[in-house]
Amino acid sequence: MWPFIFRNLLQRLVLLVIVSVIAHSVVHLAPGEPSEVDPANPRMKPEDIVKIREAFHLDDPLYLQYAYWMRDLLTGELKSFKDSQPVLPKIWERFLNSLPLFIVATLIIWTLSFPTGIHAAIRRGSAYDRSTTFVAYTLISVPGFFLSYLVILWVVEWLGVPVIGMRTFGMEEAHWAFRGMDRVWHLVMPSLMSALAGIAVLSRYVRSQMLEVIGQDYVRTARAKGLDEDTVVYRHALRNALLPFVTMFGFLLPGLIGGSVIFEQIFAWPGLGRLGYDAILSRDFPVILTINFIAAALTLAGTFISDILYAVVDPRIRLE
Amino acid sequence: MAETQILDEDELALRQPPESPLREFWHIFRRDRLAMAGLIVLVLLLFAAFAAKALTEWTVVFDPATVRLVDKFKPPMSAASTLLPAEDLPRGGIYLLGTDELGRDVFARMLQGSFVSLSIGFVAVGISIFIGILLGGLAGYYGNLRIFRLMTVDTLIMRFTDVMLCFPTFFLILTVVALLPPSIYNIMIVIGLTSWMGTARFVRAEFLALREQDFVVAAQAMGLPERRIIFVHMVPNAIAPVLVSATIGVATAILTESALSFLGFGVQPPFATWGNILSDGKGYIFDAPWLFFIPGMAILVVVLAFNLVGEGMREALNPKLRRRT
Amino acid sequence: MTLRLKWLLIIAPVVLVLALFQSVFWVPTYEAQTTGNPARLEKFIEASIGDAKILNPILNADTASSGIVDKVFEGLLDLDENLNLRGRLATDWTVTETAYLAVNPRAYFPDGSPVTTGELETRIRRAVTDGTLNSLQDNLIDIRLQPAHERTESISLRSEDDTAISVTVDLHVPERVEFRLRKVDQDFFKRLEVIIGDDYASSAPYDSWIEVEPTNKRNLVAPRFAELLPVFEHNPIIRFNLRNGVHFHDGHEFDAGDVKFTYEAIMDPKNLSPRTSDFEPIKSVRIIAPHVVEVIYKRLFSPAINAWSMGILPEHLLNEDAMRQEMDRRGLSETAREAFGMRDSEFNRKPIGFGPFKFVKWQSDEMIHLTRNDDYWEGPPLYKDYFYRIIPDALTQEVEFRTGAIDTYGTLPHQVARYTDDPAYQSYSSLGLGFTYIGYSNRHPILKDKRVRRALGMAVNVDEIIKYVLYGEGERITGPYPKNTQWYDATVLPLPYDPMAAEALLGEAGWRKNADGWLEKDGQLLEFNLITNNGNLVRKAVLTIAQNNWRKIGIKCNTQLFEWAVLLKDFINPGKFDAVVLGWSMGVDPDLYQIWHSSESGPNQLNFVGYNNPVADDLIVRIRREYDVATQRELTHRLHAVIADDQPYSFLFAPRGTRVLDKKIVMVDEEGKLSRLKQTKTGSIFFYFNRWKKLEHAVEL
Repeated sequence: MWPFIFRNLLQRLVLLVIVSVIAHSVVHLAPGEPSEVDPANPRMKPEDIVKIREAFHLDDPLYLQYAYWMRDLLTGELKSFKDSQPVLPKIWERFLNSLPLFIVATLIIWTLSFPTGIHAAIRRGSAYDRSTTFVAYTLISVPGFFLSYLVILWVVEWLGVPVIGMRTFGMEEAHWAFRGMDRVWHLVMPSLMSALAGIAVLSRYVRSQMLEVIGQDYVRTARAKGLDEDTVVYRHALRNALLPFVTMFGFLLPGLIGGSVIFEQIFAWPGLGRLGYDAILSRDFPVILTINFIAAALTLAGTFISDILYAVVDPRIRLE
Repeated sequence: MAETQILDEDELALRQPPESPLREFWHIFRRDRLAMAGLIVLVLLLFAAFAAKALTEWTVVFDPATVRLVDKFKPPMSAASTLLPAEDLPRGGIYLLGTDELGRDVFARMLQGSFVSLSIGFVAVGISIFIGILLGGLAGYYGNLRIFRLMTVDTLIMRFTDVMLCFPTFFLILTVVALLPPSIYNIMIVIGLTSWMGTARFVRAEFLALREQDFVVAAQAMGLPERRIIFVHMVPNAIAPVLVSATIGVATAILTESALSFLGFGVQPPFATWGNILSDGKGYIFDAPWLFFIPGMAILVVVLAFNLVGEGMREALNPKLRRRT
Repeated sequence: MTLRLKWLLIIAPVVLVLALFQSVFWVPTYEAQTTGNPARLEKFIEASIGDAKILNPILNADTASSGIVDKVFEGLLDLDENLNLRGRLATDWTVTETAYLAVNPRAYFPDGSPVTTGELETRIRRAVTDGTLNSLQDNLIDIRLQPAHERTESISLRSEDDTAISVTVDLHVPERVEFRLRKVDQDFFKRLEVIIGDDYASSAPYDSWIEVEPTNKRNLVAPRFAELLPVFEHNPIIRFNLRNGVHFHDGHEFDAGDVKFTYEAIMDPKNLSPRTSDFEPIKSVRIIAPHVVEVIYKRLFSPAINAWSMGILPEHLLNEDAMRQEMDRRGLSETAREAFGMRDSEFNRKPIGFGPFKFVKWQSDEMIHLTRNDDYWEGPPLYKDYFYRIIPDALTQEVEFRTGAIDTYGTLPHQVARYTDDPAYQSYSSLGLGFTYIGYSNRHPILKDKRVRRALGMAVNVDEIIKYVLYGEGERITGPYPKNTQWYDATVLPLPYDPMAAEALLGEAGWRKNADGWLEKDGQLLEFNLITNNGNLVRKAVLTIAQNNWRKIGIKCNTQLFEWAVLLKDFINPGKFDAVVLGWSMGVDPDLYQIWHSSESGPNQLNFVGYNNPVADDLIVRIRREYDVATQRELTHRLHAVIADDQPYSFLFAPRGTRVLDKKIVMVDEEGKLSRLKQTKTGSIFFYFNRWKKLEHAVEL
């Protein structure tokens, strides 16, 4: 097992380097320049632009720029082009903002998908099954921002309460319970919106896994033994159907950094997605590359964890 | 020699697992009412899209470009202003789906958009399927071949797929689209280039499985050219799941395009797509709600139709897939 | 256990959903936010699309940052409600001049005798006393002789192969006659021509005055000799008397040292300040007394004084000692220490100034929080807190405004139309300093014809654009100055909207309609590309309308939108475009050198359309050297007419900016009387922001 883990880690490390090299070249070779190098700014003289380009190493060969980036990233002294602030604390700050959104959305997805999916599987072909299928596909098919605007407008017109941002401003002196609940309310809409597609996908997956298991011999045997339906479903079938979902915990990891640009944009949520999006717009190369790098690292770590988890929960699989 | 070969091939075809006839597939598919509804929508849409190309570009029956500021924000089914010069009047003097912020005919723009949106979906998926089959097939068929004695073709291709999967897809699309000049072709290409990984993975799996099947082993033993084995014997057997994922892929591509439009990186004028009509329209939701609802609902219905048809196909193919494993 | 699992699967989601959704009952509605919540009335919340970048007056270049910086920092002076300069940290100031006349030994007096130092000085002194130089008498304080001296300068240039190089220049400054003048006079040396003749400067012996190291670069520097060591040198001098007893937010007292430090920080190449060009004409800044500072300029440049409205930095927090301490505190490595400049300082994220508001907190992309400065020298503002919220989407901004969670935002024209009739809101509309135009490349074979540009302008229905696209929130303009400044000549008439006349004019220029209805000349279609940036609804509409208008008279125009960074880099900066819809946001000074002077039309320069008219060039230079406002006004009106006649742009409109606010927000004057919010000459309401107050219930005023 250990040699497997070691070799696997090494492979992933090499992959990470390749990914970072590709990302670096794509970002640097594409048109557009960091917005600080803005000749349309009447205050900038050509000399100033030369100075800024020098400070950003923009005229050095690509491999040198890559080396500078890696050096600064690893020493933690990487600076954003946009405001010269250290990149890592910047990303960390946004990560902390995105985290509650991610946690609530994940909670919603996982708690809602299982009951829905299981019931649909048990009553395969019923009106319930067909309507959840239809609803699930509608949720996958609707453009996220279209639905979000509809819900926002409806909530605002109907309830008359603010929904945008992380909290209602101007109530800093209110009792802490009010402030806390206000924050919870501001979490509900964006996390629900970003969870919808997830609920649809996961509940469909639960349904198909359950169907698969229910058709298996041991479930039939259990039924034949005269066990009541609930015991059959929840003890025998569900347990085995759950196995593959354990591995999905690994895939949650990259979701931590892939904050959704669109929902964060609509709900004015200062998360990672918007940091990345703004960085792309202003060609803030260090920030773009670092986010991409962390995302790739988390993806690799995620698949790694899934592999391990899979081996741990499924005795049939041996790591070699 | 050539003749015997053909004969042998025919024989081979007979020895393949009983190919599930199209009819069987259709029989199962037809029972799925949601999928059938989706199919009808798609057929209608396809007609609309080609009619759109003909009616808005070849002969201008519906003019999506004319700006009529006097008639801005006219609700659906309203008549055109009498102030307009004759050549600017919409067909029949009526705006079927209203007008937008510049007084352009929304119906004509939606028609024009249907063709563009669909072609983005189809071309993007075409690219992604092509790359997916090519790389997946290579990895699956020539998997054991070594290059430079370092690694197998399979390892190389699959590691590359892993690399691609490491980029958060939407972020990657956004980066590339933001950095490339905004043309409709670039958007198709980028969506295609960033969505082939899934196809590649299961085509490889299919090929790995097929390679062991008797009819392929037999074909190899008979010394048939590899090209023939791959394209005549293996690809058709692996194509069914590819079609399913392609159908769903078109839906995803249309959604991706609308998301890009929302962020301002979508297809640029003069091309109207449903995505950019929707994201332009959202700013005017209080003044002209139809600018928001019409394209939004259109996207929803069409994407839903693609998804349902895809799901229906998957279900109809499922027993067959099971039989094989 | 089985049943527990079953129930868990049902109860968990129900509990979760209920727990999440009950929170809505704790959130205040529109009314609840103000009534019964006195603290909310003391807060002002503004929403913006974009976040600030850097909160440092000498480093910021974006509007979001400067909005915050203006509240936290303060300059020596600013513009009052009528756009005239008024003192802030400076109580008052005087402008004088010192002029230098270099002794040119190769020149001859008009009577033919050679110029020598002694003779030159005697002749000038005699002329002043005997009345030959009568025009100088009132202005001249005294005359002195400045001895010869040496000076070394290092300048950066573009070498032959277009790389940046740095050369050292040794200047052997000859003896010079120094004149101290009461006020600036750009024609001073012209007046001296009766003594020194009109060809005094051309024979200047630069070969002995200037040495260039390395010598082979001499020819590159040669064009700048006259600038490095002028024969006639004007040195305008501004002396500021600074306000006593003003303190930074941390209690440190403000003095002349901070002014000098701010200037030096801008000019420090390490800081990469985007404002160096505003301060580059300064020769030196001298501290005369703790609260008196004198700024000496290298040459005539009248807009220079406006630069002093920029916020002054606290020296004690940003000087070398302070920087070293910060580097130690942050434990930076050697490489990082080397590159460390003011740009990297944490000061830029928690600034300290002496403006009406103190900085509290900045959460990136969420908000910036400021609080009232109770020790503000002009008296504290009425609002206690100021929040700057970042909401990146125009639609959700409006949604948030309707729920009362923000007090104001940049309302779009079509949104304004909905609020003007609503009794709960008040709106203020103002003509800003910007305008929108279609610029035509002067390098384009078709568009360089003035008649074509005129015809294009006449074919676009600007009034219709203003009426329907801007909902009337805009005004037609005819020239390069902001309409609400005195520099704008209101008598210049706009091009009429007249497609027939436009067609006739094109016919005159040789364009005929072909079989397909497109205009054609010598087998070439009248076709070009019109581009603009992505994300600006009004420009996009202008683009579409212009294309449509032109199509009707047979002009084939292709349109494209590009993202801002790409538009600049690939099209505007290299000058590779045919026509472009863009806007300028102007200053209040009359200097148009960078946008319209022909020398500024190279790559990466602002005259990207390549406008080139010697008459305009001359006027532009005269305007920036003139210190008398009345004369400047006369010159700008002439310049306006010249540019309007050439139509290098189709000048379209100046959009009106509109602010919509809750009616509960009113203005309180010194005696406590309530009134509606007042506007300045430019229509800004925020000028009086410190006197604003929100009431619990709206009152009719």
